[in-house]
Amino acid sequence: MREKATTLYLGPQHPGITGNMMVKLKVEGDTIQSASTHVGYLHRGFEKLMERRNWLQSFTILCRICVPEPDPNEENFARAVESIEGREVPERAKWIRAMVLELARIGTYLLWFAGQSGSAGLYTMGQWSIGDRDYILDLFEELTGGRIYHMYIWPGGVRRDLPKGFKDKVLQTMDYLEKRLVQYDKLMFDNTIFQKRAKGIGWIDPAKAIEWGVVGAPLRAAGIASDVRKDDPYEIYDKLDFELGHATTSDVWGRSQVRRFEIEQSINMVRQIMDKMPEGEYYNRIPNPMKWEVPPGEAYVKTESARGEFGFYVVSDGSNKPRRVHVKGPAYVHAVTLLEDLLKGANISDVSFIMNSLGTCPPEIER
Amino acid sequence: MTDISLEKEQKIADELERTFPNLTARVRRARRVMASLEKELIPSVLVHAKDNLGFHHLSHMSVVDWIEDEHFEMVYTLWNHEKRVQLTIKTMISRDNATMANIDTIWRQANTYQREMREMFGIEFPGFVGEKDFLLEDWDEMPPMRRDFDTMEYANKTYFSRPGREDAQDVRDTISKRNGEEVPDFAKKYSREK
Repeated sequence: MREKATTLYLGPQHPGITGNMMVKLKVEGDTIQSASTHVGYLHRGFEKLMERRNWLQSFTILCRICVPEPDPNEENFARAVESIEGREVPERAKWIRAMVLELARIGTYLLWFAGQSGSAGLYTMGQWSIGDRDYILDLFEELTGGRIYHMYIWPGGVRRDLPKGFKDKVLQTMDYLEKRLVQYDKLMFDNTIFQKRAKGIGWIDPAKAIEWGVVGAPLRAAGIASDVRKDDPYEIYDKLDFELGHATTSDVWGRSQVRRFEIEQSINMVRQIMDKMPEGEYYNRIPNPMKWEVPPGEAYVKTESARGEFGFYVVSDGSNKPRRVHVKGPAYVHAVTLLEDLLKGANISDVSFIMNSLGTCPPEIER
Repeated sequence: MTDISLEKEQKIADELERTFPNLTARVRRARRVMASLEKELIPSVLVHAKDNLGFHHLSHMSVVDWIEDEHFEMVYTLWNHEKRVQLTIKTMISRDNATMANIDTIWRQANTYQREMREMFGIEFPGFVGEKDFLLEDWDEMPPMRRDFDTMEYANKTYFSRPGREDAQDVRDTISKRNGEEVPDFAKKYSREK
């Protein structure tokens, strides 16, 4: 006998997802027939607000576009303004920026560990990894004054130089985190429950992945070596030695392995950065921010965030305020068209699991 | 600075100009090509770029309101994974009765962008199927991302100020007066009432 289909509204709260969005599901039994993403809980009108603020004031807003990883927003916007204006950035500032971005990547992956394992019922992992993420936040607090929102990277460089003894603290934290990875493996990746839940779930067709707009770890897990840091290097990424995560299974398991591998790479990159970072200036001073006019022009810049390609389209009309700022985070595609497709035929209990594996971040969809 | 060859970028620009005589393309720098043309040709150019030139990835799609000139500028950003080149395609559309070709048959993720553009800028995409509400709910005002939408006026009209905040008083002073509490010393120095 055919079971009667019902509509299930899942969300707007989801385990392990920072932010709110609702997924409307048509289900038969516990199998999903169709899904549609409903956003609108977090629209703060940031892009509009930035049009009414001067270039520097925009920084207090744009770091809030994505809560778990605000730094790519700052770096993107700063680089877009620098690109329009033709402002040189001191070499040391570029290295510091890359360090901040890699620390942010490690922190975001640790937060993702918690969401991904938590949505499979492995709560201990989340408590450990979020605890360890706090050591990264401690570093940020010392460097920038803020744990989550830093407003540290700005046009012309970074806001201040590294504090005394910071290098040692960073290296000690990296040594600690590297040792912890062994524990994470035991707790999460060697765990049969996680393996059984993750393998074969949320499969993305590798032949269609690029066309569907898949980026970041989900694309690399589909066997396609793509990363903005390699393909279109920015800051000093062409001077660093690193490998990309690789998997071919194109499921949640593959994406998890890619992220696990990339934490190791990022730890290694931070060490390289601390070793090679040159001395010198860290900031090419901008004029009085209240009167600072950026010449007319436009730029589309992108970084590889922990969730994939993060893009900013910035237009200046020559005034002291941006004409247009348009932000495109990976979740704009991942959590809408891609998620709706992946959920067809999935089990209700896998919704959060799949959402986490795609790096869903509702605040960056709505901005 | 080292001399970087722009050969592959120039080839793409030349190929586009050869195929579409009304299109102007230029190389901006290494890995960046920009093309502009009239709006009727946009779907053909996008299909050509995707199927024949290897620009499989739609990186971004945006719109800029140039209210002084009474037009919107549509911007499509594509990426070629193999050649590692970014192609930006631009066109102008009129601000009055703004319509643009629907491209979600070429890249289905364009559906989301178009829903947002329809809602935020009032641009219609004939033949486009997508739920009306995206970020807003039951919105019947002017599309809010248009330059002539005044956020302050809308906020004043729609919301009211909490009592005690009308004249931008310091909230700590207001609370202390209301409840008879003493403002702590450390907070006094930030108070507006000296």
